[in-house]
Amino acid sequence: MRQEFKLLSAERSLWAVGLMFLLLIGYAVANGLAQTATRDRAQAAVWEADQSTRAAQRARLEAIRAGLATPLPFDNPADPSGMAGNYGGHHAVLPSAALGPVALGQSDLFPSQFRVTNQSRVGFMNPSDIENPWHLLSGHFDLAFVLVYLMPLLIFAVSYNLLSAERESGTLRLLLSQPLRLRTLLAGKLSVRAVVLLGPAVLLPVGVLLLARQAGLTGTGTAAGTTTMWWAFLVAAYALFWFALVVAVNAFGASSATNAMVLVIAWVLLVLVAPVLLNLAVTQVVPTPSRTELATRTRVLTAEAMKRHADLLATDYEHVGRGAALLPQDGKINISARALGNYAIQRELDDALRPQLERFDRQQQHQQELLGRVGMLSPAAVAFEGMTALAGTGARRHARFVAQTVDFHKTWKGFFYPLIDNRTALVPQDFDRVPAFSWQEEPPALVHRAAAIAVFQLLMPSLLLFGLAAWRLRRLCVS
Amino acid sequence: MLLRIAKREFVERLRDGRLHWAVGLVLVLLMTALFVGYSHQSEARAEQQVAQASEYRDWLRQDRRHPHDAAHQGMHAFKPGAAMAIVDPGINPYIGSTIWLQAHRQSEVKFNPAQDATGLQRFGNLSVGWILQVLGPLLVIVLGFNAFAGEREQGILRQTLSLGISPVRLLLGKAAALLACVGVLLIPAALAAAFAVTLGAGEGERMDALLRLSAWAAGYVLYLGIFVFLVLGVSAASSTSRMAITLLLALWIGQTVMAPRMLSEASRALSPTPTRLQFNQALNADLKATSDRMWQQTFGTTERWGKDVPLSKWGVALQMDDQSSYPVYDRHFGRLWDTWEGQQRLQEWSGLAFPILAMRAYSMGMAGTDFAHHRTFSTAAEAYRRRIQDLMSADLVKNADTGGERHFSYQASPDLWASVPPFSYRAPSASWALGHQARSLLVLLAGLSLSALFATFTTSRQRAL
Repeated sequence: MRQEFKLLSAERSLWAVGLMFLLLIGYAVANGLAQTATRDRAQAAVWEADQSTRAAQRARLEAIRAGLATPLPFDNPADPSGMAGNYGGHHAVLPSAALGPVALGQSDLFPSQFRVTNQSRVGFMNPSDIENPWHLLSGHFDLAFVLVYLMPLLIFAVSYNLLSAERESGTLRLLLSQPLRLRTLLAGKLSVRAVVLLGPAVLLPVGVLLLARQAGLTGTGTAAGTTTMWWAFLVAAYALFWFALVVAVNAFGASSATNAMVLVIAWVLLVLVAPVLLNLAVTQVVPTPSRTELATRTRVLTAEAMKRHADLLATDYEHVGRGAALLPQDGKINISARALGNYAIQRELDDALRPQLERFDRQQQHQQELLGRVGMLSPAAVAFEGMTALAGTGARRHARFVAQTVDFHKTWKGFFYPLIDNRTALVPQDFDRVPAFSWQEEPPALVHRAAAIAVFQLLMPSLLLFGLAAWRLRRLCVS
Repeated sequence: MLLRIAKREFVERLRDGRLHWAVGLVLVLLMTALFVGYSHQSEARAEQQVAQASEYRDWLRQDRRHPHDAAHQGMHAFKPGAAMAIVDPGINPYIGSTIWLQAHRQSEVKFNPAQDATGLQRFGNLSVGWILQVLGPLLVIVLGFNAFAGEREQGILRQTLSLGISPVRLLLGKAAALLACVGVLLIPAALAAAFAVTLGAGEGERMDALLRLSAWAAGYVLYLGIFVFLVLGVSAASSTSRMAITLLLALWIGQTVMAPRMLSEASRALSPTPTRLQFNQALNADLKATSDRMWQQTFGTTERWGKDVPLSKWGVALQMDDQSSYPVYDRHFGRLWDTWEGQQRLQEWSGLAFPILAMRAYSMGMAGTDFAHHRTFSTAAEAYRRRIQDLMSADLVKNADTGGERHFSYQASPDLWASVPPFSYRAPSASWALGHQARSLLVLLAGLSLSALFATFTTSRQRAL
């Protein structure tokens, strides 16, 4: 092994590949950190805006109660129908996970903030972040991209001619005439290359993440250490798969040029083509319900509800010319008929649309489950899914965010509905009781179990390939 | 002579097993993509047409009701699927196609299909465009990397040149043969695409769709032409075919896999998109300031509904607020969309170094699935929304309640609903699209000239001895 390392270090290509890899990883990690920081800042701003709006509304309510301010129909913090709706809506925000910067995953496709009101969630659970669709199409240059797409190519670059070069130069015969088993020789060659590539792939990001965490730049989260360890396992298992492929291809004893060609074709098929086909197959087998139909259904249900409450909607504002009508009296408030009408309409729409919206959630879950089963066909898909899951930017964590937002929506309505129904005026102390969203992180055990499955899904084909290689190597003609 | 060289090269490629495998594989992928594209497309179009028709039918069938309630309920505008989305869905999977036309506010598209996508969405969508952009150049590389280098290794090149054939003529012959090889693949695919597009296009848009398809296909000939010359140039400059293939693969990975992401990051950093909060805060502040200014000017107060402004002025105030908000929306959305177009412009120019970026823009532009087309739809939908609002408010002004008690109980007759025409949006013509893609076309042409020059330079240095 030491000899192999000496040989390799004398070769400029290894250093060139190592340096290039280091540069790519450095850029990807820096980019991941920058993007995550931007998102964290945007979310912090959303949270601060919510807080300051709420504080201003509370101050205004105190002023109204002290007779220092006059309530306006659309600016009245004592009115629970306004506070439950657009006027007082509150955000549910999905924070970045500790490993967020290593894989930006679908963080730009899935919304990470929803402004929750008493409206049906069809109204507020839509893509919330503004992003150029061209960029969404391109994707990010993050660490997961470098590892999933580029690491296999760099593995090829240093090892496509693992055995074939020795044979072509005639040194293999010489080596094997020594008391050295072919297996030992291969293991030695592989480990040197694995160390050179996995060193920067694992150590640099982990080091940078640790530093960033120390500096308070990224979230800490529970069990961040174990999650990082699982991430390193996953990267190692993915690299192992490609090394196994290299060994298996070399074991067939073809020329270096053929080896390189076969490996590149395998990369194109497994990394570029297979995930795209898998995605297509999954969406064909478990199709998403129609959003067009949902839009039509929303409109029809809204129209029906508006018709049912036409009398409330047809009532004029009572406060015009009588500002006092907006003031709370004896703990009660006179909610305008039109506001009550809108409240009833949204409430009925929300109930009526729920089954349809739940179908979307279920279908997405089915797609993801199916993907978990057939994803094995592409190690790149397994690795990518595994990395985004560990980084907290994948589909599972987002589904959890959606579910928690739905729960928060329920709590929100549970708080405001009785107040509206009883025409109870809000008092400043109520502001402390208004439900606030608080994100409950995924249990680390769940995250780690999923990572273990991904590692297993990568190890299985690797072992098969090594088995194939061992079988071929026994018949390999050295001369 | 040129023809003879090309013919010989072509026959040689045909004998090579590589062509059969590579072309076979890509052809299977192309046909799958075409079939899936067609079935998606026809399903989505049928659904959108039914939905759009039902929107308007239900609008007309409304009973007597308050015009503003009708405006509040609003309508949806569905973006009709472009006929050419079969071959390149462009940004469609990442942007919604439904706009809710509501009172008071300009809406954005909702229901972005990527929000319902699986975790593998990040790997891309299978489409004819994707295959040609990503795998097309690889095919050219696999077929042509040893065109010069391999012949030099075997000693054939020296013999050929010693016959007195000019290297440039040899280059042209080889280029023609390589293009013909790719043509073996592309011509059946183009015919199948033409068939699918004709079948999928609606009445009256077939001609336009076919014009678009021809211009689209011509773009791909340019794009693959760039790679034909690049591959031959590199093959001529490399001492061994091993070196040629290594260099070419590195270039291919750099341009197809890395460049789109790197340049997206770069353009995002150079001209950042505002966050949702920043955009909304700026828009809302501007709207409020404009509305207050108008109220002060017109009514002498900003207090909504009191002694100075009774509810009988409701229609007038609504009309005034709406009309003064239109320029505000135009300004804010215009600025955002200009930013996006600026970001895209940067990427198109970088197509000089990475042709895939110019090709991607050109391909989706000609397919009618790029942001410029989407913008025309958004603008048309917003113009329609304004028309509905203006008609409803005008009716409220005309029927203002002078009694002062019965403003919201006013009910307009169904004649008012019929005064709103149906929403009709026609995507811009093929020539408009071509005009919009002048930049990327220019970049592709420049790329072709550069790579042809490069190939001429390296082949002309080939010597018989």
